[in-house]
Amino acid sequence: MKRFMLICFAAFWSSVVSIWAYAVLATDGVADSVTEQRVISISPAELARHAGTDDCWMAIEGVVYDFTTYIPRHPAPPVVMTDWCGKDATQQYRTKGYGRPHSPAADALLPQYRVGVLEQSE
Amino acid sequence: MFTLVRLVTFTLVAWPLAVVAADLYAGAPADAAAWLRWLGRAAGLVGFAWFLLAMALSARLPRFDLALGGLLSLWRMHHWLGAFSFVLLLMHPPLLALANVPAGPQAVLATLLPSLDAWTVWSGWAALLFMMLFLAPSFSFFGAPHYQRWKLLHRFSGAVLILALLHALALAGLLKPAAAGWVWGVLAAVTAAAFLWRLLLSRWLSRRQYRISRVNALAPRVVEITLEGPPLEYDPGQFVYFTPLDPSLPVGRGEEHPYSLVSAPHEPDLRIAIKELGDASAALMQVKEGTLATVEGPYGRFVPPQHEGAALWIGGGIGITPFVSVARAFTAQSASVDVHLVYCANDTSRAYYLAELEHIAARQPGFVVHPHYFAEQGALSASFLEGCTADYRQRVCYVCGPSGLLNLAETILTGEGVSRRHIHMEEFNLL
Ligand SMILES: Cc1cc2nc3c(=O)[nH]c(=O)nc-3n(C[C@H](O)[C@H](O)[C@H](O)COP(=O)(O)OP(=O)(O)OC[C@H]3O[C@@H](n4cnc5c(N)ncnc54)[C@H](O)[C@@H]3O)c2cc1C
Ligand code: HEM
Repeated sequence: MKRFMLICFAAFWSSVVSIWAYAVLATDGVADSVTEQRVISISPAELARHAGTDDCWMAIEGVVYDFTTYIPRHPAPPVVMTDWCGKDATQQYRTKGYGRPHSPAADALLPQYRVGVLEQSE
Repeated sequence: MFTLVRLVTFTLVAWPLAVVAADLYAGAPADAAAWLRWLGRAAGLVGFAWFLLAMALSARLPRFDLALGGLLSLWRMHHWLGAFSFVLLLMHPPLLALANVPAGPQAVLATLLPSLDAWTVWSGWAALLFMMLFLAPSFSFFGAPHYQRWKLLHRFSGAVLILALLHALALAGLLKPAAAGWVWGVLAAVTAAAFLWRLLLSRWLSRRQYRISRVNALAPRVVEITLEGPPLEYDPGQFVYFTPLDPSLPVGRGEEHPYSLVSAPHEPDLRIAIKELGDASAALMQVKEGTLATVEGPYGRFVPPQHEGAALWIGGGIGITPFVSVARAFTAQSASVDVHLVYCANDTSRAYYLAELEHIAARQPGFVVHPHYFAEQGALSASFLEGCTADYRQRVCYVCGPSGLLNLAETILTGEGVSRRHIHMEEFNLL
């Protein structure tokens, strides 16, 4: 048992280090492309046009995302997301519907779905 | 009562598995990433549940251990639960990180090492690091641990409890958030109570005070200590945790160590026999008569209280102690028994209980003692056992002694066709 435990211990650290190294190396290019994104302004009316399961945009904290391809991957059942297609889902995203914010990992997923910023109605 | 303890223990082992299975039944993960996420969550849930149970068991309430087959099997269960929970909790972060591979490297990294304000994740990390710290010596990662230092380090498990609880409450995972609050809250509260009991309350409520009335040197480096104090109800062959308080002891004062009782339950005083096996036990060779000590127990179930049926006992060195207690108990009863005791000692000078055991055997029908001397006869062998009693293969065997003797006896007995179910062994080492 002692030997097996030592192997698990070593396996843990080597996987953590390799995941870290992979992510750091692979992120270098991605970070640039995200910051370079052009600022496209999207009106609430435009947002509302993408309200279907097969074409789903949402606004979170002033940024508009296209989640069409993400919905099937979401850990919770799709309905929790599809109800918010075409709308501002900031509040939902912050609370997950029961008062808990999303994890930092979820935050990290957002940029790749970004399509633009929501036009502020004055 | 015992059935209840067993039922509760079984439920506590099984409930996280049931939750995980039910979740899978409700809907299997859709793709590889979802599977990884599900596995990561399941590992966290089962790992933490078993961690809590391992800790709760460590309360070791006297006599309750009998429900789980005695304190040594309770500690064995503790080891296995601890080991499984550690492995599962080590798998938990990498699985969750890998589940985010489809979302890109940034998401993977953010799962493992999020921004500094994500305290829920960092409390999980801290719990895991503390767990490594307190378990590394338990698995001898860096060589055999010094027992007393190991025990101090083991108490960091309390920090793991708090940190892991914060983490589990905030990130409910497979449990519904409302349920997570209740389930983890209640289990952690009970576990924390068990931990506090073991570390603090048991010192006042469970340890009883005795006076060392006699210290009798049985042989060089072996003493028998007689303890006068409140009567203790126990079965012959059980052990206690003994804590000497003699202020003149250079080491080991206030330290608890397990020792088998060599007295029989009908005697007014308790007796233990101690062999010098390390620094604390060596100091006890000089413990002063008239000083105080505490005793917590009794624990363990090595030899069953009713000895019906034919038995073979093998006791080596100081491992003779539980058998001495059972033999002394024979003197208070009239029924005949069927026991052959092989007393393994290095030579006649080390067979310190032989005279008394032979004296008991002369009066107790069916109890026969066979001394075996390593210096003259070499290692114990099947032919020696054959010479003691030709039917030894049909007997239920009880072996207690140093690990070398236990291994040898096991090899001989299993080699001769004795089933493992009929071999009971007690080793004087908890780790
Ligand atoms: C169920 C049981 C019954 C025992 N009965 C007897 C007995 O009747 N007579 C007797 O002389 N000895 C008995 N022992 C062994 C005794 O507990 C140890 O020899 C003693 O604790 C050694 O302490 P130390 O500080 O002198 O030695 P150390 O130098 O600390 O260690 C020597 C060895 O004892 C083990 N050990 C040390 N401290 C403990 C502890 N607190 N708990 C468990 N193991 C420990 C260590 O793993 C090591 O292998 C028994 C042990 C157990 C588990
Ligand atoms: C889930 C992880 C674990 C937790 C939470 C835990 C917790 C505890 C606690 C609180 C005690 C009581 C300590 C005391 O009396 O001072 C204890 C005792 C003990 N633990 Fe663990 N433990 C864990 C895993 C392990 C493992 C993996 C091993 C060994 C392989 C181990 C071996 C022991 C032993 C031998 C004792 C008895 C010490 C004695 O009575 O002298 N534990 N544990």
